[in-house]
Amino acid sequence: MGKIKIKIDYSICGDGNKIDPRDCTICLKICEPAIFLLHPSLKFQKEDDPYDPKIWRVTPVYPSLCTLCMKCVEQCPENAIRIRN
Amino acid sequence: MCDHCLKHGTAGKWYLNAKFYSDELAEELDLKEFLLEQYKTFEAMQVRKFGGFSAVGMGYKRQMPIIGRIVKHTAEKMLHSKKPSRNPFKAEGHIGQVVPLDDAIAILETCIPENSLIMKYCMCRYMHKGEKEACCINFGIMSEIIDKLPRFIPEPEDSKFRLTKEEAIEKFTEFNKKGYIGTIWYGAYPYINNLCACQTPMCAGFRPRTEFGIKSIFKAEYVVENNPNNCQGCKRCITMCQFGAIEFDDKTKRAVIDQSKCYGCGNCLLVCRFEALNLVTRKEIPALAGDY
Repeated sequence: MGKIKIKIDYSICGDGNKIDPRDCTICLKICEPAIFLLHPSLKFQKEDDPYDPKIWRVTPVYPSLCTLCMKCVEQCPENAIRIRN
Repeated sequence: MCDHCLKHGTAGKWYLNAKFYSDELAEELDLKEFLLEQYKTFEAMQVRKFGGFSAVGMGYKRQMPIIGRIVKHTAEKMLHSKKPSRNPFKAEGHIGQVVPLDDAIAILETCIPENSLIMKYCMCRYMHKGEKEACCINFGIMSEIIDKLPRFIPEPEDSKFRLTKEEAIEKFTEFNKKGYIGTIWYGAYPYINNLCACQTPMCAGFRPRTEFGIKSIFKAEYVVENNPNNCQGCKRCITMCQFGAIEFDDKTKRAVIDQSKCYGCGNCLLVCRFEALNLVTRKEIPALAGDY
């Protein structure tokens, strides 16, 4: 089996764009092996509030644990997740 | 703080020694700034690169023949580091151990500096599951650090921020009954400032060990032993175990424990109604003596 690749479109979700992942968190909650990580975006660390960062993004950190249930792809309200096997 | 512990420690359990929790130790290691810097972007720790590697895609990295071993070695070297010079963006010297309920209560009762107990939102549950659950008990200088970082401070309806000893013990007992695993964490070695109530798979401390074979957390000083004469085969302990260490034996209609998988958290004891389970000291079982 090939490597599973999970891509999130950051031009829609996170990095201060249309959706703040902290308000949504659907993909995080729905993922049974909890492979996603919600974290302050390192790209904007310099301009962000260091004590209370406002710019966050979701990274799929452990794609190897993905069960390919596709729930995140189906449930993402902005269709921002793509999974390739 | 208990003077006896400071001077002598208590017999056997290394972590029942107030020295590891003392403000003096934190000051000596100059940890205030280090920890503040670390917790400012704690959630991003797994995506930062060090020596060319981050934890992203760890499963696939570990599967590679030689690189997999290098990754394990590098990660363990970093986590087990005892050196004082530190980079706050790395989880250097951030290693934990499972503690069963009785020991956790003993820690809370005897080792924690006065008036420093706080409750904060669990970062692991938030960053991996998007859930805000107040279940991390912190102490020592952590109370000053978390005070500055509003996202960790629980809303009043979830929990109080500052806890008394009694409240902390009560909360922690509640978590154990829910099946959360008690763990203590160095931050950084040898200063202990965290008593977590962990849950797999989202715990960032357990996952490297359970999924990728990297020793990010040590098993408890104990291991569970069962008494098949008392076991009634009710399977309650099986549902409690997060490590799949207890199985049901169809032939004898009893629970069987795979001690090599047991982390010794003792949560199964809390649901057993027939006194069929005991915690025994790991050192006393030759086959498991060094298996932390």
